[in-house]
Amino acid sequence: MRSELLITLPALNEANNLSEVLGALRVSWPEAVLLVVDDASTDATAAVARSHGALVATLPFRLGYGGGVQAGIKYGLRHGFPIVVTFDADGQHDPLDIGPLVEAVRGGADLAIGSRVLASESYRGGFARQWGRSLFAGLARGLTGLRITDPTSGLKALGPRGQALFALSRFPDRYPDADALVLARRARLTITERPARMRPSRNRRSMHGGLGAVAYVFNMLFSLFVATTGRDLHRKE
Amino acid sequence: MPTRQIVVFLALVLILFVAILELARRRVLRVEYSWLWIASCLTTVLFILRYDLLVKLTDFVGGVVPTSVLFFLCILYLALLCLHYSIRISALTHQVKDLAQEVALLRLGLENADTAPLDAPGPRLE
Repeated sequence: MRSELLITLPALNEANNLSEVLGALRVSWPEAVLLVVDDASTDATAAVARSHGALVATLPFRLGYGGGVQAGIKYGLRHGFPIVVTFDADGQHDPLDIGPLVEAVRGGADLAIGSRVLASESYRGGFARQWGRSLFAGLARGLTGLRITDPTSGLKALGPRGQALFALSRFPDRYPDADALVLARRARLTITERPARMRPSRNRRSMHGGLGAVAYVFNMLFSLFVATTGRDLHRKE
Repeated sequence: MPTRQIVVFLALVLILFVAILELARRRVLRVEYSWLWIASCLTTVLFILRYDLLVKLTDFVGGVVPTSVLFFLCILYLALLCLHYSIRISALTHQVKDLAQEVALLRLGLENADTAPLDAPGPRLE
């Protein structure tokens, strides 16, 4: 039987974490297709992924988180997977939280997001991150009326319509965040959230740290402005 | 303008002009960029030969010193050029990203076509 669930993991030098993450996914979701998008890693990420029976798409050079996620979603869209789940390779997501997201998509949602805010005992990051998260959630709500508590979550399940939107060339491809949700809302997708427990990332260097965090906030504010007021993404140049 | 100045600057523009033609002939510079630079050269020649036009332009925009007006226009021109390049780079960034993803997915498809017979168990890839 052809699998209906694709779990895609963007991975940059995650050879140390990937084994455990893929092992846990395999146990919880034996029938799912696992796809690791290797973001031009310099360690054994691809080899570790293959040894766990995952498919590996190796990018020729580094695209960053959003580019990796998008490559995985494109794969799912092209191969007709009814559900694509994006899952972080650093071990911060729990495979069991995929269940409610998959159910939500089966139940008609185009985009289901795993929220650490809705989960009572989840790691939520330091003060700055919580503040940033609620700022963007508040902005998305103010701009579009969309009630989403955790727009920064990397744990998402996408139905075909969600996949088609996220695969567009001009979709935010750095760190799809509140801007992605605003676009999804404008595209009239059905968006929902389910609780997800998250652990602190095992990577010492996280994606948003130090001055990068400041830049991130300004990038995201501007990206939100573009997402809210900008041209339709489908429109040709 | 003293003749000496005119000769020196005309020579400089001529060198630039020849360089642009040569770059275009070697296909280092694309045609659509070549004409932009050729137009820049011709404008410069015009102002070298007809300083009175620059003075008229200065009067027209309400400037005081012709050289200031010239510098201002040059800076404006270069700024617009940079903006144009930013736009081009943005478009190229999207294209390069799409191509990189395409390469990764095509490579994955090829690897699976090589190793997995069509009736093998496991996920079917096309």
